[in-house]
Amino acid sequence: MSIIEYLLIAIPKIWTGLLITFKVSAICLLIGLLIGMPAALARVYGPKWLRWLVTGYIEILRGTPVLVQLFLIYYGLPQFGLTLSAFASAYLAIGMNSGAYQAEYFRGAIQAISSGQMMAARSIGLSRMQAIRHVIIPQAFRFAIPAWSNEVVAMIKISSIVYLIAVPEMLYVAKELMAKYYNPFQTYFTVGAVYLIVIGLLTVLLNALERKLTIPGLETVKRGS
Amino acid sequence: MPRSSKEIVKIQDVHKAYGKEDVLKGISMEVTEGEVVILVGPSGTGKSTLLRCINQLTVPDSGHVWVNGIELTDPSTDIDKARQHIGMVFQDFNLFNHLSALDNVMLGLTQVLKMDVEKAREKAMHELDRVGLCNKFMNYPGQLSGGQKQRVAIARSLAMEPIVMLFDEPTSALDPELIGEVLVVMKDLALGGMTMICVTHEIGFARDVSTRIVFMEHGDIVEEGSPKKMLNHPDLQRTKQFLGKISELH
Repeated sequence: MSIIEYLLIAIPKIWTGLLITFKVSAICLLIGLLIGMPAALARVYGPKWLRWLVTGYIEILRGTPVLVQLFLIYYGLPQFGLTLSAFASAYLAIGMNSGAYQAEYFRGAIQAISSGQMMAARSIGLSRMQAIRHVIIPQAFRFAIPAWSNEVVAMIKISSIVYLIAVPEMLYVAKELMAKYYNPFQTYFTVGAVYLIVIGLLTVLLNALERKLTIPGLETVKRGS
Repeated sequence: MPRSSKEIVKIQDVHKAYGKEDVLKGISMEVTEGEVVILVGPSGTGKSTLLRCINQLTVPDSGHVWVNGIELTDPSTDIDKARQHIGMVFQDFNLFNHLSALDNVMLGLTQVLKMDVEKAREKAMHELDRVGLCNKFMNYPGQLSGGQKQRVAIARSLAMEPIVMLFDEPTSALDPELIGEVLVVMKDLALGGMTMICVTHEIGFARDVSTRIVFMEHGDIVEEGSPKKMLNHPDLQRTKQFLGKISELH
């Protein structure tokens, strides 16, 4: 079989895998965002007990391999009668893990905002929650975009580990193709190239987003701090 | 200038310490309606801290503060509500960096006063016009000069219709040629009868529009009086020495 013939068979299959890679990555990033931003706010503005709780969460999830967390959920929880599907386990494990990292990105971004912003907001009568919502979060999001772009790129690659619990994403498809045609080099080379192209495109997209969301004056604060 | 004896701000025996350092050692002061009080003194003497103790951005360790008859140091007071009517202008402007000049002024109107957007925009444009900046309403803080930023900050406070304005070294971060435009706005306010408490070393401003100069040092009020008395023949040698020095500079 020529390489062209092989690619004609392989690429449609890799495409279906890629879509699942996207789906898993997007959902995990979203779960991570929904955990990360509140966790960051709790860590900066929360009462002491909450700060400790969140710090504990972040350190445990960053201090253990995400694969161990995935296996604990997928293989470990059934021991206690809680069986989650491969997809659900993937979302939960990687999403929670991403949440810990995103919390740290957002914390850095929040702390880069001058304390005068909060003071000014309070001085016109905004409550603490209103100040966080209307003044702190919008600026924190913008400061966090560069770090968050890294998280997106990392997520596309990290999501490949879910092939170990038989989620049919790109790497899983590659394994199947290889078992059938026995051409590991061609297969992994192709998959590698697809990852590279996808991440290249995403990087261009995220850079464009960063430029689009730039506000005069805010970008200098970010680069200076 | 209409003058009444209505008490707007009352400070009673306010103490504040940071760690071992006593920043305010029992300050008492009253400011009546329409007064323009200038706080002067060497840096680190607690002038800014005193100003922040008025709107409780800094909470005093002890003592009481009333604004418009409401005790702000009473824990049961809704401080967010009370702060709506106490304008504050900061040395570093502290405009919301992600919002245009217009949105900076509108935020308090829509979120705190719950005004509808059209009305808030109209009001905000009016306030920007008052400080001479209605043509800059679309600009972000990063696109404004220091003097313009400070004027937007003043407009942001004025939009809330404060009963007293607190100025914390409003011109100290400005290039010399930009100080004038901010002082013009402040003078207009003073002449319009606004009650003001200003930490500033702009002696010309103090001479022209203030009703009282308060000289602070080491967390205490050393001497206070009319600008005429304080600038020409104060009781204390220390006051004369300090005010003489800053008069030469400004």
